[in-house]
Order: sequence, then structure tokens, then C-alpha cells
Amino acid sequence: MLVSQLEVRNVSKAFGSVVALRDVSLTAKAGEVHAVIGENGAGKSTLMNIICGNHSVSSGEIRVNGRTVRFGSPMEAQHAGIAIAPQEILLAPALSVAENVMLGRQLASGGVVSWKATRTEAIKHLQALDPDIDPDARAGDVTVAQQQLVQIARATATGARLLIFDEPTAALTLKESARLFDFIKRFRGEGGLILYISHRLGEILELSDRITVLRDGRFVTELDPARTSKDEMIQAMAGREVADLDLRHQIPAKITDEIVLKVEGLSRRDEFDNISFDLKRGEILAIGGLIGSGRSEMARCLFGDRPRDAGRVEVFGKVENFSAPADAIRAGLVYLPEERKHDGIFPQLSVAENIAMPNLGVFANWTGISWLKVVGAAEEYIRSIPIKANSPHQLISNLSGGNQQKAILSRWLMSHCRILILDEPTRGIDVNAKREIQKLLRELAQGGLSVVYISSELQEIIDVSDRVVLMHEGKVRGIVPTEGATQESLLAVAMS
Amino acid sequence: MIGRFEAIGIVAALLLLCVFLTLSVDTFATSYNMTVVIRQASFVGIIALCQTLVLLIGGIDLSVGAGAGLSAIFGALLLTSLGVHPYLVIPLTCMFGFALGTINGALVAYARLNPFIVTLASWEIFAGATLVITQGNPIRPLGPVFGWFGKGDIFGIPVPVLIFILLAIILAFVLNRTRFGRNIYAIGGNRPAAVLVGIPVKRIEMLVFGLSGMLAALAGILYASRLDSGQPSVGEGWLMPAITASIIGGVSLRGGQGTISGTVAGALLMAVLGNGIVLLNISGYWQRVIVGVVVLVAILIDLLRRKR
Repeated sequence: MLVSQLEVRNVSKAFGSVVALRDVSLTAKAGEVHAVIGENGAGKSTLMNIICGNHSVSSGEIRVNGRTVRFGSPMEAQHAGIAIAPQEILLAPALSVAENVMLGRQLASGGVVSWKATRTEAIKHLQALDPDIDPDARAGDVTVAQQQLVQIARATATGARLLIFDEPTAALTLKESARLFDFIKRFRGEGGLILYISHRLGEILELSDRITVLRDGRFVTELDPARTSKDEMIQAMAGREVADLDLRHQIPAKITDEIVLKVEGLSRRDEFDNISFDLKRGEILAIGGLIGSGRSEMARCLFGDRPRDAGRVEVFGKVENFSAPADAIRAGLVYLPEERKHDGIFPQLSVAENIAMPNLGVFANWTGISWLKVVGAAEEYIRSIPIKANSPHQLISNLSGGNQQKAILSRWLMSHCRILILDEPTRGIDVNAKREIQKLLRELAQGGLSVVYISSELQEIIDVSDRVVLMHEGKVRGIVPTEGATQESLLAVAMS
Repeated sequence: MIGRFEAIGIVAALLLLCVFLTLSVDTFATSYNMTVVIRQASFVGIIALCQTLVLLIGGIDLSVGAGAGLSAIFGALLLTSLGVHPYLVIPLTCMFGFALGTINGALVAYARLNPFIVTLASWEIFAGATLVITQGNPIRPLGPVFGWFGKGDIFGIPVPVLIFILLAIILAFVLNRTRFGRNIYAIGGNRPAAVLVGIPVKRIEMLVFGLSGMLAALAGILYASRLDSGQPSVGEGWLMPAITASIIGGVSLRGGQGTISGTVAGALLMAVLGNGIVLLNISGYWQRVIVGVVVLVAILIDLLRRKR
């Protein structure tokens, strides 16, 4: 179905008490690439989920071709000609690439699937994006980049005329990205409509016709890519002066020559290979790279959560091979996982207990744990960070993502750790909490804490860290200082 | 943390039930009947305590009843065939039960097998082993010295009841005020997070199953003492009331939530229910139906509680 115009009118969306979108409006026309930019937590993905039928609106309406629509499911949106290539990989890993492209829409006659016809149809859409992907390969076995392209092919195979791309290039090389851009330009030329979410501002300027900026769930402004600049875009997204965001200069580092963490040749089959880097005392060392580059796996291995195949690690000058997280924690090295809800918080326990969990030994004697002391200690952190909670006894699952993250961070601060490995610490939290955490980390580093900061947001890396290790496909591509770096220069190193 | 008295609902239900029975049947509120009820409650209660521990850590132990039975036979054999002193039999039986439980625990924690399947299998193995050893015949007599544990009383309170109360107090303390206890809640609430926080998850999982086996053995041997024989049927039918008591008492099937006080109240409720069925002259066959219905209601309550 041809989508000639999409109108989002005063849409608001709340999940329980959390308001994700507040009175957002935008218009997009056929033959246009409309970019939507904003920091993490600005509401971009929520908006896209509503447009593609995954969520309902709390108030406001969506109009397609001038008519109000209310999608009860993504299937209904597909019938209206709208499809999404989501940010996370949502494939059936055990099925073939071709089957994933045609998932739910296998070609059949009389209820019986015709595999040959299905495969041929799938190949048609795959070729347009990447002729090198094997259609018969198991979807779980291909690279993350290829998985992303398979998802995109799946969206185009629905015959949609409005395609939504959510961070499509986060896992793609320059060559693959270029091919995707060609596809997008062709699609636009044929009268298609594209909604494009990305953090890569350079990309947006090159590709889009209009830019909508969201911040904290609200519409901020619309920019013209021909007339705007990266600085203007950053300022609109953050609501602050670009100079204000440059925490690295605001809170300068006090880096000594002491090497607190030395990694040499760390390898684990199929995940990462020959990783080497040094971390100095007081430094914030970022580990950047495309999604799927093996950074989290490497961090967990360092932490003792998984065994290594090869390599040598020195912590404070002492050779270590941690066999369990408890050993690393004892040596002063801690890890904050990527998935807060899944691996970070104890959802049924209170804020105080979540903060105190690994440190209970401090509060215990032969008469048992003194809860009074635990709550007292937790209150210290709630007050000083600060963490927004009604009381230390509040269930941690009732806190916002940002405050949950602060609580988990406090857990490690309470343990007097000396090396902090953070995996995407500001992902999925609101802008203000993000700044607070970033500032806190710079202050802690200034005070002598050493930080390894894994992030996929290159701008964040430039603003917050002192040096960055760039990884791609499991290998280190380069270690560069962030002073004077740009998103493009870092990407270039990562892909070299 | 302590202070969250979710058991208020069950205590209310318990009181209502007691009031109802007192008014309906005049044999309910007698001291004799009360003694019977709380003595019965203590056996179910000890098993419910086992199950609570395992449920809290996010697992389940289907073999508690059968483990109690096998351990009871073990104890009975120690007494009759090996002539072991009655006072030693109980601790030795508990160690045996601990060993049985640890096998379950090792398979769940280290081999990462599903606890449902592991304990389902061990249930069959323990029950079968019991029959093989006894050939279906009870092992008796166990002697009057030993019989005191199951039949005797201190100041009018049956010994099993005192043991149950003592265990409940100790476990409540451990769960609320020791690191071991809090780690159990952590593991049950979010196992991957517990690993990343440095908790020795596997060791604790195995220990908890071991403890469950040990307490089950204690209940089994006490019951054998009460019957004055090592009956192969000891432990049969103990599983469902134990799970129900725990769930009614607020233990979540998903793990990480629940209290000892809740489980105690749940065990009392189940015991009074069973007692009521007998006193009201409802056919014993109906008991299974009623228990099953109560289990469903308990699970629904658990679901609703979590949704809130």
C-alpha cells in the first residue's frame, strides 16, 4: 500500500507512571528520508514502536494518508504498508536466513509452504542489501552485521512503503553502510518513505531530508540538514551547550603513570582475539566499537565470569587469572553489566539491600546482620549521589532506570573498588541521570578510581573518556586519545 | 527484609477456619485435638520449611517426601540392625538426608540440570530404594527410648512441635540476618546478578538442597519414631501439603520471595484443614480434591500478588 503521508499528531505515551512521549508531532511525506534524533531515553524507539503497531498511544493520533489509524498489532501496520527494522536483533536463530526474511509470510498454497518459492523471494530482497549473505545459513551463525541486514530485508520483504530504521548502522562496516545508503536512496527515489533513527550525526546529515529532534519525550525542533550543523544537532538533543557536555575538560583528569590494569593477548575463541591495552590510575578508558565487536565478552572474561583461552592480565602489578567474579571483586576490580534488569538488580529487594548486597560482611557480626547499619550506609549513598527514591526500603524495581543504575553503581562504590568496568552504563536512562552518572565517574576518576567504560555512543566516548580502545569483530583496531577526536575519526580507526 | 508481614492474610484465614470449626464441631477446640493438630502440623511444617528454602533459591524439591521416607528407613535400620544408640540415630539420619539432598543439589548447581526434573527422578529413585530395602515390610520395633522423640512431650508440648518451632526460629534468623540467608534471596531473585556480585551461587544452591534433604530426613525419622516403626510409606503424600503451605504462606514459585513466618502459618492452615475434614466426617477421599483446589487457589493468589 502506498504511504504518501504520515502524520503524528500530539502523541503521548505512558507506561504506568513513566511518561515516554509527551505531545509529540511530526509529518513525513513520500519520497523523503526523515531522521529522528535524540539521546538515549528521548523517546525515539517508543515513537517508532507506536508507528509500526507495537504499542498503542496513550493520547493523540497517527494518520496515514490523511486517515486516522489505530494499529492493534504490527501485522495491521504491515497491511497498511509500514514495517520496522528494529535496533535489537530479533531473529529466530535456529531457522535459516531465508526463512527469517520471510518469517510469518512464507509463500504457501493451500496452507502448505513452498520452500523453493519462499527462498527465491527471500534472495530477491537479500541481494538488494548484501549479495554475500548465504540464504541457507543458520541465522544464529552469521555475523551481527549480517543479522542486522537480514532484519532489514525482512522489513523490505513485507512490501512496505514506509520503512523505519532504528540504528541500522550500529553493527555495519563502512562498506555495508554505504550499500545500505544506496538502497535507501533508491527506495526514496521510488517514492518510499523512510524514518531513520541514528546516533551518527554525520550519516544523518548526508542521508536525510528533514531532521526531527526529540528530548525527554518531547519534540524540540525540526532541522534542515542542508543548513544545520553537528553542533546545533547536539545542542538540540542535549538541551545544553556543546561546551557544557565536554566533561573531560570541565572535570580534568589526574592520570598518573601507574598502570593499574594491564591486558596482554586476551583471547577467547569465537568472541575476541589478542586484546591488549593498559589502564592508568585515574584514567577513564573507553572501549568503543560496533555492536557485536566482542567488548562485553572481553569485559566479562576479565572479570572472571568466563575463562580465557589465552592471555595475561596484571591487576595492580600482580598477575591474575580470576576464576570467579568473587575473586576479581576481592582484588578491587568490579563489573557493571550491560543489562541492568537481567543481570544487575535484585528486583524483589529494596534499594538498600541492592546497594548493600556484596558488602553484607561489613555489617555482620555473630549476632547477625545489623539492618540498621545497612540502611544507614545506603542512605548515605542515596543522599550523596543522589538517588531519587522515596525511602531506602522502596522496591528497586519501582525506581527509574537511571536511579536503578545509580544504585548498582553505589553497590560497587561501597565495596571500595579500585577498578570499575562499566558496560553501557548510560544506556536506556534519561538525559539528566546520564549526565549525573558521567559527572560522577569523572569525579571519581579524578579521585583516583580507574574506569573502563564500554559504550556504543561515540559522542559520549569523546565527551567522557580520556582514551579509547576501538574494537571491531573481536580485535583491537586502535587505541587513541579522545582529545581532538571526532565520531568520524574514531569510526575510521575502528574499521581500519 | 524483616518487617514485611505478608502473612497477615493467611493468619486471618486460619483464624476464620478455626472459628468455623469450633462452632461446627465441639471436638475441635479440645486440648487433645489441638495437640493432634499441631503435632501433625509440625511434620508437614518441617517439610514445608525444606521446600521454602529450595523455592526461595528459585528451585523446587519434589523428592522431599520420598527422601524423608528413605532416610527414615535408614534410621530405622541403624537402630534395629546395627544397634546404634537412639540418641545418635537422629543426627546420623540427618547427615544421610543431607547427603541425599546434596546429590540433588550438585546436579542442579553444577550440572545445571532443571531442578524439577532432577528431583522428580530422585523422588522415584528414593521411593523405589525404600521399597527395595524394606520389601514393603515395616522395620520394627524401634524401642521406647527412641519413641520419645515422636511421641513424647515437654511440659505438655509434643517434642516434634518443639523441634519445628526451634527450626523455624533458626531458619528465620538465618534467612534474615546472615549473609548466607540474604544470598539465598539474591540468587532466587536474580541468579545472573548474584553471580556478577560475587556470590558463590553454585555452592549455595547445592547447600540449600542438602539442607532440604537434611530437614526432610529429620521429619521422616521423627515420624517413624511416632509410629514406632520404619514404615515404607513414611513421606508419602507430604509433598503437596508442603508446597501448598509454602505458597499460601507467600513464597513465590519464581524464587527470591517469601518468609518463614508465612510458611508456618501456611502449614498450620493445611493441618487445620486436614483436621477439619476428618472432624466434619467428610470422606477422606475428598481430602485430595480439597488440597488440590487449595493449591490452585494459592497459586492464583501468588499470581495476583505478583501482578500488584
